[in-house]
Amino acid sequence: MPDSLVIKNLNASIGERPILKDFCLTVPKGEVHAIMGPNGTGKSTLSKVLAGHPDYTVQSGSALLDGEEILGLEPDVVARAGLFLAFQYPSEIPGVTIANFIRAAIVARQAKGAPFDAKAYYAELYAKMDALKMDRKFTSRFVNEGFSGGEKKRCEILQLMMLKPKYAVLDETDSGLDIDALRIVSEGVNRMRGPDTGFLVITHYQRLLEYIVPDRVHIMWDGRIVHSGGKELALELEAKGYDWVKTELASA
Amino acid sequence: MAEIDDNLAQREAIEVDRSKGDFKYEESYAFDAGVGLNPGVVDYISQVKGEEPWIREFRQKALKIFDGLPMPTHWATTDLDNIKFEDIRYYLAKGQKAVRTWEEVPDDVKKTFERLGIPESERKFLAGVEAQFDSEAVYSRMKEELEKLGVIFCGPNEGLRDHPEIFRKWFGKVIPAGDNKFAALNSAVFSGGSFIYIPKGVKVAQPLQAYFRINAENFGQFERTLIIADEGSEVTYMEGCTAPKFETATLHSAVVELVALKGAKIQYVTVQNWSANVFNLVTKRGVAEEGAEVRWIDCNIGSRLTMKYPGVVLRGKGARGEVLSIALANDGQHQDTGAKMIHAADDTTSNIIAKSISVGAGRSTYRGLVHIPKTLKNCRNNTECDALLINEHSRTDTYPAISVRGQKNSVQHEASVSKVSAEQIFYMMQRGLSEGEAMSLAVNGFVNDLVKEFPMEYSVELKRLIELQMEGSVG
Amino acid sequence: MSTLTAPAGVLDAARQSADLAQTAGHAWFDALRRQGWADFQRLPMPTRDDEKWRFSDARSLSLDGYAPAPEPTEALVAALIARSHFVARPAALIVHVDGHCVLRPALSPELTAQGVRFETLSDALRHHPALLQEHLLKHGAGLGGAKFLALHQAWLRAGYVLFVPKGVEVRQPFVSVNWTSHDGAAVFPHALIVAGEHAVVSVQDYHLGATPDARALAISACDIHAGTGANVSRLAVQGWGSRTQSFQVDNTCGGRDALITSVNAAVGSRRARLENTVRIDGPGADVRLYGISVATGEQEFDQRTLQIHTAGQAKSDLLFKNALLGKARTIFSGLIKVAPDAQRTDAYQTNRNLLLSPDAEADSLPGLEIEANDVKCSHGATTGQVDENELFYLRARGIPLEVAQELLAQGFLEEVIAKVEDEEGAEALRGMLSAKFHQA
Repeated sequence: MPDSLVIKNLNASIGERPILKDFCLTVPKGEVHAIMGPNGTGKSTLSKVLAGHPDYTVQSGSALLDGEEILGLEPDVVARAGLFLAFQYPSEIPGVTIANFIRAAIVARQAKGAPFDAKAYYAELYAKMDALKMDRKFTSRFVNEGFSGGEKKRCEILQLMMLKPKYAVLDETDSGLDIDALRIVSEGVNRMRGPDTGFLVITHYQRLLEYIVPDRVHIMWDGRIVHSGGKELALELEAKGYDWVKTELASA
Repeated sequence: MAEIDDNLAQREAIEVDRSKGDFKYEESYAFDAGVGLNPGVVDYISQVKGEEPWIREFRQKALKIFDGLPMPTHWATTDLDNIKFEDIRYYLAKGQKAVRTWEEVPDDVKKTFERLGIPESERKFLAGVEAQFDSEAVYSRMKEELEKLGVIFCGPNEGLRDHPEIFRKWFGKVIPAGDNKFAALNSAVFSGGSFIYIPKGVKVAQPLQAYFRINAENFGQFERTLIIADEGSEVTYMEGCTAPKFETATLHSAVVELVALKGAKIQYVTVQNWSANVFNLVTKRGVAEEGAEVRWIDCNIGSRLTMKYPGVVLRGKGARGEVLSIALANDGQHQDTGAKMIHAADDTTSNIIAKSISVGAGRSTYRGLVHIPKTLKNCRNNTECDALLINEHSRTDTYPAISVRGQKNSVQHEASVSKVSAEQIFYMMQRGLSEGEAMSLAVNGFVNDLVKEFPMEYSVELKRLIELQMEGSVG
Repeated sequence: MSTLTAPAGVLDAARQSADLAQTAGHAWFDALRRQGWADFQRLPMPTRDDEKWRFSDARSLSLDGYAPAPEPTEALVAALIARSHFVARPAALIVHVDGHCVLRPALSPELTAQGVRFETLSDALRHHPALLQEHLLKHGAGLGGAKFLALHQAWLRAGYVLFVPKGVEVRQPFVSVNWTSHDGAAVFPHALIVAGEHAVVSVQDYHLGATPDARALAISACDIHAGTGANVSRLAVQGWGSRTQSFQVDNTCGGRDALITSVNAAVGSRRARLENTVRIDGPGADVRLYGISVATGEQEFDQRTLQIHTAGQAKSDLLFKNALLGKARTIFSGLIKVAPDAQRTDAYQTNRNLLLSPDAEADSLPGLEIEANDVKCSHGATTGQVDENELFYLRARGIPLEVAQELLAQGFLEEVIAKVEDEEGAEALRGMLSAKFHQA
């Protein structure tokens, strides 16, 4: 299926421990899908497996990005194919400034030897930083080093906006954010919404979904999706709690 | 706010209380190799022991190596030059054979060991005890059940004579005679020590234990220990060392070789409390095969000069090596200790934690070697050295050498030097402790995380020894 | 047919003796050079067993085949001067090519009026013999390079003297550039920096090969004397050609409340040895020593440092970072020595090595000798590869593996580059370090 991220019967493990079990999900471009579920159910594993993290082993299944298989590719190849992962715990990269980092990522997407338009780059970078209410001094700060939780997440969204992927996976982007930061980050994501981008928003709480209103909500349990619905499902889950998932949905 | 007396740090550090080890008895020796070292002395020792020709040759060859090697004073302390090899007695024995029951031990020797508390300890919990008085083992006892399991615990003579198929293969292989000058010396004149074999899969729950004691003046003690833990076996070995005070310097130069075969674990614990005129120059090294673990727990409180760097050669994939070391150097003492980790296989890890305390004009030195060659991958070493300086002119040195190549190997070395803060002492004194008590408490706190790793019996002893050392340090 | 004799090199007594004429007229200086020659003859070459040369490839040391080079051509001089402008507006610039001064420093009248002096060694010999006699080579090489420093002393005549008098603050950097060009050139550049009480001075020393693969022997030395409350910062870049053997012996003395910052960078030479000794003689002094290198191919960078605290209540902090590629090797051997009465000393030493190739080797010998108890001293050494999580994070943004590794390596080095206060100097350094990743 073109214009979709299609994950089919994905089985993946860390070491000997199976985590994703016949996981299936389709995210079409232009839609925002949310995955909710309790801790330890495999939500973060899903994001890492899609991004090609070397710690995870894929046993079987496929993940097609606009029809192209991305499982088994090197992480940078997956990223250039159009998948962006906003990390739950972004790494600190000492000595590498944000400006140089994003620039390197953009250059990696250009044709080899193509000239880099630094002026346009900075204009765009500054505009997006303004939108995220980030101080321009951030460009010369080292990536995530000494950042607060909120600053790290804003920096993730800045990269998302600069790299313009086809699909973005936001892994617990709301964790560690106060209400103001949550609003700013969500606005950034909402600004990116449109027919050319699909979103997969992974979250533990319904709160984020008040700001980033999803088209579809999926409930994940023990390595697979056990229930899907519209945006109202998030509210239902909030009201009934994860015990409901455990007792009713998971056993179904 | 009350000021801590600035001069307290300058006051004299106390004499060590050696109530447990500082006594001696008149001894008359049936065998005495005389003073000085030459091929004749080596032959005499070999003859008295009734050794096979190959051992005699091993000794003679080692003597040549010893004569040919210079003193390592180009890197080590020149205090070594004060050892007068020509004045030392290299072999002294009463002609005794190791006896099996406490009642058989000669009365005078028994008195010595009673003061050391050996039978008591043995009754309490020790699996086996080997006690060495000057050159020869005088008492050896092992619980019957261990013998039934096939555990061998004897001296080098018996070991090489009765179980050559087990011991000869490794004897002098982990530490060849040419390793260093003092290993060569030991190889030439060794006498006594422990040879231990733990059969496959046998896990010895209680520690095996040895005591070494020097009783005669101007005497050199050169015991030799070889422990082989066969596949999947586990053993802990503990040694304690004491000597009375003599007017002249005494030399202790041991060689300890450990072999942990596939999946085996050896833990070797030493509490060294030689009197302050003993030169304690010991070579200790273990080999760890695949998945095996060698752990040295080394505590040096006594001696005039100790030079000892327990090592592990990590020869098998996934092997682990560890050295935990505590050194306490008081006035006139130099504890020159450390560790060596030679990585020789993939996925090997090593850990070194060394803590030293220098009291009065005492000096403690850490020397370390960590080597990861080019062919290896996924090896890790972590080293921490912490030095505590108690008095104004206490001294500490740290000399690690780290060499890394290969893929995905990582090493981390950290060292720090600190003192007990006046604030800390004041705080404790405000709670009613004396200065000495406060200092002891602070020092025990400094080594606490390491002491916890010691077997219970030893950790209590160690804390007590540290307290004794610290009491006078602040006047 | 006439017999060809090999050109007499730096080991030739007659040639050294003849060279003394170049600095004739100063008996004490003449004696100094003769003493250097005598010491050089007397001292043995280091061997592998020498503790001060542990891990370094002492066996391959050879001083054969190097000779003082002839004067460079005008065209070469012009080209190299054009390449010497690392700083757009230095306080003054001095350039040497193959040991010959080709650009004499022109000091502004203001600085001259304030008593600042920046002169070639031979000019200073004539104008300020007392200053030289007081400070020049006052401390020998205690870290193993005595023989090499002796040869430097025997052939000493190139270099500069910088004197900033009491209370004078010069913010613009003084820049010295030494080039080697002639094949087999032997050069012995010297830098003498004297900062009076509360003077402020910043220096940049560039040691470079005119061609990337220049073959030379370079034995340089630097004496820094920082008076009470003086602030001295120095950037020294070792970028000799890739077939050069270089030795550098730096001695720094810091008086009461002096603030000294030095950054030693290494990119060039086949083998390069740095010996850096700092003596902290006054309380309140604050000395910061940084080292940085990118070692590639079969380069050996051998760094030996000594922080001597004779006065208490002073601080020294050292950070040496090395990134290694190819079959390169770095050796860091550092010692902090706290004298018996130097109470309340703060002294730190850190060495971090980043292995970017399985064939590279990083050796670390961080040492402490502490004889006072009321001190804060620590050292740390780490050697490892780039962090796997950081690498994944970069690659998850689409950055290819090699680029990601280089970015991380440059990030690793940035901590030291940031210590170079002068932005132009930092940028020059960044460029030279970065270029090495692409040659490798």
